[in-house]
Amino acid sequence: MAKHVISPREVAAKESRAILRCAIRFALDTESAAVRHNTRSFNLNRYRATAALPDYDALKDEARRIKEHALANHQTLVQRLSESVTRNGGHFFFARDAQEARQYIQEICKRHRVRSLVKGKSMTSEEIHLNGALEHDGIRVVETDLAEFILQAADEQPSHIIAPAIHYSRERITALFRRKFQTDLPLDTGEDLTRFARELLRQDFLAADAGITGANLVSANCGSLLLVESEANIRLTCIAPPLHIALAGLEKIVPSRREFAPFIELLAASATGQPLTSYTSVIQPPLAVPVVDFRGAGPATREFHLVILDNGREALAHDAQLKEALYCIRCSACLNSCANFQVLGGHGFGGATYSGGIGATWEVATTGQLKLARFSDLCTGCTRCVSQCPVRIDVPGLNVELRSRLNMSIPFSLPARAMQVLVGASPSEPASAQQLFFAHYDRVARLGMFFAPLSNYLLKVPGARWLLEKSFGIDQRRHLAPFPRKTWVDTSADDVAEKPDAPPGPEVVVLADVFTNYGAPERGRDALRCLRAAGLRVCLTKSMPDGRAALSQGMIETARTQAETLSKYLAAENATERPLLVVEPSVLAMILREYRKLLSAEAFAKLQNSTIDLVQFLARHFAEQGSDPCFVFDIHKFGPGPRVFYHAHCQLRAVSDPSITVDFLRRLGFEVTCSQVECCGMAGSFGYKKDFYDVSEAVSEELVEQWKAAESALGPHTLLASGVSCIEQLQGATERAVLHPVELLAKLL
Amino acid sequence: MHNNDGQSEPVNLVSPAQQSHLKQFREQVSTTGGTIELVDRSPEGVRHAVLARASTSRPILVAEPRYLSPDYFRPLRSEEGVLTNPKADDYRSAPVGVTEAFAAVARTGSVCVDVGADIAGYVSLLPRLHIVVVDIDRLVFRPSDLFRLEQFARPTFHRSFVFISGPSATADMGPLVRGVHGPHELHIVVLC
Repeated sequence: MAKHVISPREVAAKESRAILRCAIRFALDTESAAVRHNTRSFNLNRYRATAALPDYDALKDEARRIKEHALANHQTLVQRLSESVTRNGGHFFFARDAQEARQYIQEICKRHRVRSLVKGKSMTSEEIHLNGALEHDGIRVVETDLAEFILQAADEQPSHIIAPAIHYSRERITALFRRKFQTDLPLDTGEDLTRFARELLRQDFLAADAGITGANLVSANCGSLLLVESEANIRLTCIAPPLHIALAGLEKIVPSRREFAPFIELLAASATGQPLTSYTSVIQPPLAVPVVDFRGAGPATREFHLVILDNGREALAHDAQLKEALYCIRCSACLNSCANFQVLGGHGFGGATYSGGIGATWEVATTGQLKLARFSDLCTGCTRCVSQCPVRIDVPGLNVELRSRLNMSIPFSLPARAMQVLVGASPSEPASAQQLFFAHYDRVARLGMFFAPLSNYLLKVPGARWLLEKSFGIDQRRHLAPFPRKTWVDTSADDVAEKPDAPPGPEVVVLADVFTNYGAPERGRDALRCLRAAGLRVCLTKSMPDGRAALSQGMIETARTQAETLSKYLAAENATERPLLVVEPSVLAMILREYRKLLSAEAFAKLQNSTIDLVQFLARHFAEQGSDPCFVFDIHKFGPGPRVFYHAHCQLRAVSDPSITVDFLRRLGFEVTCSQVECCGMAGSFGYKKDFYDVSEAVSEELVEQWKAAESALGPHTLLASGVSCIEQLQGATERAVLHPVELLAKLL
Repeated sequence: MHNNDGQSEPVNLVSPAQQSHLKQFREQVSTTGGTIELVDRSPEGVRHAVLARASTSRPILVAEPRYLSPDYFRPLRSEEGVLTNPKADDYRSAPVGVTEAFAAVARTGSVCVDVGADIAGYVSLLPRLHIVVVDIDRLVFRPSDLFRLEQFARPTFHRSFVFISGPSATADMGPLVRGVHGPHELHIVVLC
């Protein structure tokens, strides 16, 4: 029997883990190469273009403000827009759902006896499945955006919000066109393919009875549309046929054209990484332009209809946790800066219409089906996208919220209940056995330690890892660090106790985060040694969970409780009166970023002001003292030489400037090459999970390539990474020892 | 500085502030795949620039200017093969379209063409070569300047216009291809 070839449509709606797994397999096997190449090129171009914007941050603030204000007043704006469109001589329709929108557009087409219509790219029309409805009425629907043209020929859903056929390489397009159009015309270059499509479509443009477009923004007070494109198909769709129908979600409305201004450059820079795309149209239809009779149908007058769509947006605007998804301007910066999206694309990491981290909320809001958010599991919470979003949407925050809602429907299971009891988890927050395992890493580690070395021995027993994979979904191929006999705190109690001969330097508090405490106690001791060598008095906290592990599993209430407990403990110890130093970046980012949502403003502010990355603190300390760190950290004591390859943890980059660490290492005499990837692919527990092992490995390939390139250009490098999971990932992929920066520094003492 | 015909460009007519914007504009236009030349602010200058760029391609469709003085396009209009009132078949086949732009944007290398009335919307869109004429005094720094400077383009703002930044282009077929559904070439004539 022939092997069944999966088509993207079959795995578009990710209702279950099984479909998600299937889609991931399909995307990695079939589409990954083209997606990697194209998203990474978008990503680089965006970094370049946003750096060239003189007021990037101010523009983002302004864009965010405009969107917040517009959404808060959307009912007024809809009303005003309706009046403006009517005043301009157009027709306005507010569609409550997809069906109403479809029916309205079908009615207009019937009334105008539309036989063929051209479409500009419109995700909103994908969302309401417009093409099928119109085709059912016997209308020839022609997608004119070349990417949509490809998808229409292939019958696939979009895999990217601005480049819907990003998963197609030139070679695959050639094969598709040969098959679909049965032509002998040359199709072997981008020019050939473009010429072929252009010549077909030019006839369609001029013969069309109607044109349908979306809109990037709509102005309420004058009924203008902002339309951004490069191919000129949208311009043609608006002007060539006498009938123009525009379809836009209600979140696209802003008060006036004035509010278009900040978005124009911001959108182009964030999307394709250009100063502007070829065409940025600001039009107020119906155009006062004579209709040229291309069709030979005799004189015609222009008619314009604006369909504003709710379809779940109104409800989303009232969802306090998820509403910021409505600020999205569909630029794709979050997709292109996402390490997982870069290897999967939107057929793996996306739904029927919307894709990537932001797409899960959109799929749920526009379909009303929470289960379709399953692909949000592919958001690791690395937060690389947040600083790239032109309207500062906390995409990982949305996905944590979705995960927590998905958790509510986890059925009772004996293993999960047993796990709850074993780790002492609150039974009020539902979670799977796997989630409980990762969320309560500290308890699992404590149990493992208690039974060490028996537990370490047991892990090596044949079948043990199989059992672990079966019960907790922890991939057998992953290396698991053995449980230590003693934790960081256990072995440092004597070290940190106030000694009479302790140096009289300033005092700092070091957070004994659970990952370092249980997973890498030696690293923790190295950190303390470095600090003392720098003349600091050191105080180590108790080790208690900070909430990061729970949050990453969508267990928001557990995370909140843990955050509150830790924050109260630190306040009681007056830890926030002194610098609070953190070794593990995911915990640093938890405190500096996620605690804003989990703690009171006052408690958060205290921690925000005192918490800092340990190595960055050392760099600052030496700079403030005006003393030379080389007297303390002597590079000559480090045998392997001065070249290091440094991968800064994704979340470290989200909350601090990792170049401080790099500069410090350079000050000590190191030659530092930095990785240029968004994330290593391990991302906490993500890469340990059986379902995501292959994604994690695919993501790590680029990092390994960059390390190899550095070695082949310059010679051997010491590998350096700043987080527990990055170190595991790099060690696994390179089979070389990987150091944390504090471990490197400790070797210089 | 020389244009295509080896004639000196009239750069001495431009103030230092405009010089800096102009430099950026030229660089950016070339990045977007467009071409640019500076010509003397005269009807004869416009005629000469357009005919030189259009070479032997005919017909040339010309949209009447609404912001520039119509005088600038007058000698051009009387040339053979120039159409100012094209029919559907002319639009289908004409290789060259000439319009004015009411503004140009330095940072993005864009020209702004009013497409809300008359025929500029077609003329700037259907032919393979679009030649656009813009006054250097209409050069601004950024797109947002157009939304701020209310004095800039009276009466009020243009109802419908487009920032054109280079010829139509796509990356959907693999590598970047210039020339898709709109013009394949964009030539900007700056009046100094």
